[in-house]
Amino acid sequence: MTVAELVDGPLWTVALTVFVAGVAWRLLVLIATGWKRDLSHPRSGSLGGAIRGVVGRFLPSQGMAGRLRLHLVAGYLFHLGLFALLFFAAPHVDFYRDRLFGFDWTPLPHWAFILAAEAAFLGLLMLWLNRVLNPVTRLISESGDHAASVLTFLVMLTGCLALARSHETLRLLHFFVVELFMIYFPFSRLMHSFTFLLSRAAQGAHYGRRGVRV
Amino acid sequence: MPVDMNLFRGFVEQIRQLPAMAQPTDMPDPDRVRAAKAVFADKLDARLASHLDACVHCGVCAEACHYYVQSGDPRYTPIHKLEPLMRYWRREKGPFAWLQRLITRDISEQDLEDWQPLVYDSCTECGRCSFACPQGVDIASMVGVMRQALAKAGLIPAGLRAVEQEQGSRGTVFGVGGEQLMEAVEALRARGYEVPVDKEQAEVLVLSSTLDILLFTDALESTVKVMNHLGVDWSIHTCAFEGANFGMLSGYEEVQKAASERIIREAIGCGARVVIIPECGHAYPAMRWDAANEHGEPLPFDVMAISEFLGREVMAGRLKLKSGQRRPVTYHDPCKIGRHGGIFDEPRAVLEALGLEVREMPVHHEMNYCCGGGAGLFLIDSAKKNRDLGFDLKREQVEATGASSLVTACGSCRLNFLAGADRVHWDRGIESLVELVGEAIDGPGGAS
Amino acid sequence: MNAYGLLWGLLLALLSTAAQAQNDTPPQSGIWIPNPGADLWKAVRQRGQPEPSTTQVQGLDSNQLINVAGEKFRDWRRERFIRYAAYLLAGVPVVILLFHMLHGAMKLEPSGRKLLRFDLYDRVAHWLLATVFLFLAFTGLLLLFGRFVIVPWLGLDAFSPIASASKEGHNLFGPLFLVALLWVFLRFVARNLPAWRDIVWLLKGGGAFGGKHPSAGFFNGGEKLWFWSLAVFGLLLSLSGLLLDFPSYAPSRELLVLALVVHGAAAVILVAFSFGHIYMGTAGVEGTLEGMRDGTVDANWARQHHDQWYAEMVREGRLEALSEAQENRAETTTGQLEEGRT
Repeated sequence: MTVAELVDGPLWTVALTVFVAGVAWRLLVLIATGWKRDLSHPRSGSLGGAIRGVVGRFLPSQGMAGRLRLHLVAGYLFHLGLFALLFFAAPHVDFYRDRLFGFDWTPLPHWAFILAAEAAFLGLLMLWLNRVLNPVTRLISESGDHAASVLTFLVMLTGCLALARSHETLRLLHFFVVELFMIYFPFSRLMHSFTFLLSRAAQGAHYGRRGVRV
Repeated sequence: MPVDMNLFRGFVEQIRQLPAMAQPTDMPDPDRVRAAKAVFADKLDARLASHLDACVHCGVCAEACHYYVQSGDPRYTPIHKLEPLMRYWRREKGPFAWLQRLITRDISEQDLEDWQPLVYDSCTECGRCSFACPQGVDIASMVGVMRQALAKAGLIPAGLRAVEQEQGSRGTVFGVGGEQLMEAVEALRARGYEVPVDKEQAEVLVLSSTLDILLFTDALESTVKVMNHLGVDWSIHTCAFEGANFGMLSGYEEVQKAASERIIREAIGCGARVVIIPECGHAYPAMRWDAANEHGEPLPFDVMAISEFLGREVMAGRLKLKSGQRRPVTYHDPCKIGRHGGIFDEPRAVLEALGLEVREMPVHHEMNYCCGGGAGLFLIDSAKKNRDLGFDLKREQVEATGASSLVTACGSCRLNFLAGADRVHWDRGIESLVELVGEAIDGPGGAS
Repeated sequence: MNAYGLLWGLLLALLSTAAQAQNDTPPQSGIWIPNPGADLWKAVRQRGQPEPSTTQVQGLDSNQLINVAGEKFRDWRRERFIRYAAYLLAGVPVVILLFHMLHGAMKLEPSGRKLLRFDLYDRVAHWLLATVFLFLAFTGLLLLFGRFVIVPWLGLDAFSPIASASKEGHNLFGPLFLVALLWVFLRFVARNLPAWRDIVWLLKGGGAFGGKHPSAGFFNGGEKLWFWSLAVFGLLLSLSGLLLDFPSYAPSRELLVLALVVHGAAAVILVAFSFGHIYMGTAGVEGTLEGMRDGTVDANWARQHHDQWYAEMVREGRLEALSEAQENRAETTTGQLEEGRT
């Protein structure tokens, strides 16, 4: 079996399995840890609080924007850019149709794709630089955080190096890094792309029943 | 009426003597670690686990913490204060514990000692970080868990421990028990107040606190005045009047539960429908949110902070207040009553009814900055620098409003404001909501 | 600090060599030998043709089969530009190495007292520009020298994807350079306004010739020279790069050729200059990197290299304030830990 066959075949199956099973397992363990029933009289509903928690946290809290300019600008550039690339880049839409779902949707036009890539790179670089240069993040960051940043960067980088779609080697390189990323994903803080919903909802519900808007 | 500053300084001096009174809590190192882990195991549920799991180490919480904002010291980063808990979750309960055990260091006794100043001296559990976190991680709740773990590991700072031990063993706080309450009651009776004590049946059970008996005596007087003025069927009980709960502040759950149970027993015994918490920040969540869960079933009565009670009476039109001179004031939401309690509108309604012009600080309500001295920090000698840092930030916030006075509804906030004002010779008034109300109604003592 | 002077001298020397080389006239042959295909090629090259050719293809210069000016440019690029760029880019590190061996690093005796030099935004902006610059330099140099370095080494089959990847990466990161450059420019320009003392600093070669350290403010003459070179050449680099990124929007072929010339020259100059900058920031002067990494520098470093800024900081009480805060912090730590054991 050639390297190309390996990357395109079994390794992809392994990566997809680890990703899906790992994510499911991690969420399952979280939920199975059990909820403690709160016996105090609620002041207000938890559900409304949970929804407000999930939605409201997209915006900075009162008075925080000034201190969080970098987090906000870089965070949004990166996440919006990456989201657009991941789901709407033309090669990705083709991939989802051919290898995963069997159907496709309208991809981004080329100029928007380029714009999204620029935004994502700018955001990721700024976030990672903040991680290593800010004394706070330098203290609390672990090797796993850096590994996640570097892996994400490499996925994006190899992706755009293969942008000409003219070299099989470059496509395989990108695909290989993506597989590594997917295998690492459930074990790392990359999981926050799923757990942020749980966490925000939990906080929103907790304070919601106390009548506090988060 | 302003607080007698000599009395206040004497009180502060007494607090400085507390560490000498603390009983040692020696135990072998492995026992400390085991005890802390048992607390972690008990407290970690899906809510806290999803918080621990969702953190991406972005550092936003630091920007919300008054101690970090003021000092720039990264160790004050709120999420950093949970590191031992985080490590425990990953190694022993998390989804890939078998893997994490290979790469994550176990908690050591040294870790617990190292984290003591971080969860006691440099966190008031004010919860501002929880509200700033983009992932919705409730850091403040988990600092509470850290304190509970350290408490079980015998690592409560000496000053706080002394009071916790006193409340746990004798049921008194700073030597104040039923007798001392009666002395204060007799003094009020001598001035013509009717004070119902230990009534067998009462609609409303009113609590007080050591602070109000020793230092903020006007608060107790005002409470009595308001209750009588409204014609409430109320009572104060000599065996369960203390709202302050040093079991909760120190993290020692047995003492917290015992203190709450005493109140629950009395309230049920006299058929109270409402228990009123004095101006004591943490006393509110202790009874309002925690007590039912410790008790094991929902409480058959409502729990209200005095500021909440006053606000509701004003809003319902039952409490009419004489409005005095219209002057600008700002309201400081005590974190345990506002951010953790949801009481924001009621105290402001009272201030409006008093004819005062309420000016909000640059950040207010849910994002109000902590006074800097809550959650028992006032009893921790080594936290003085941080308390001062917190006050300095708060001072800027208050001065930005141009208000001549700051009103609050928490004795602990008041203590730190007074200490700060005394240190920098601050010219702003520091007033209590219930005292302002007391001054605005007639009573035997006259509208003072 | 005199490496900047040396670098600049070297740069000028190389450029004048390049200029001289261009004046050399090629050898001429005396006899006219008509080539059988001459007419065909003449037609292909559209020489002496009164009317321009026509085509259905829409696009810039699509009615031209061979662009003669382009051919000339290609020759110039291959024969001259790449050669002299290589001399410069290989020469500068050699000069720096020699300088370092003779002069050694500038030592720092730490005082233990710190001054805040670059805040977080300064540092993030700097390293963002640096990261993007290094990536662009790497991919750009691969494209420039790949044919002569990678092809003989790894072969055409290997170079093809490398070149494609470099081109795509280079094109995509290009616009980020402009963003980072503007951010750095806006954050640092106020501290880089030229002053008389900077001229003195440069004339003295940063102290290499006078022996004594010439006076400097927040930034010294050398740093300001780097800043303004970066601003000017960086802007040229970005604008020409954007044109090359979107060639279909270029008004004429000549402008694209000009853009290539400007892009190449500005890039080589900045890369050469960056070697000096990197050297001074790391191995050359002890205690400098700390400023861009942690944001603080040692008080002695400031006194040694930026005496006027240091004096200003002392006047404003910043030195005292910061050290007091640090002492407080240290005190808090130990105080808390001791308390914990009582």
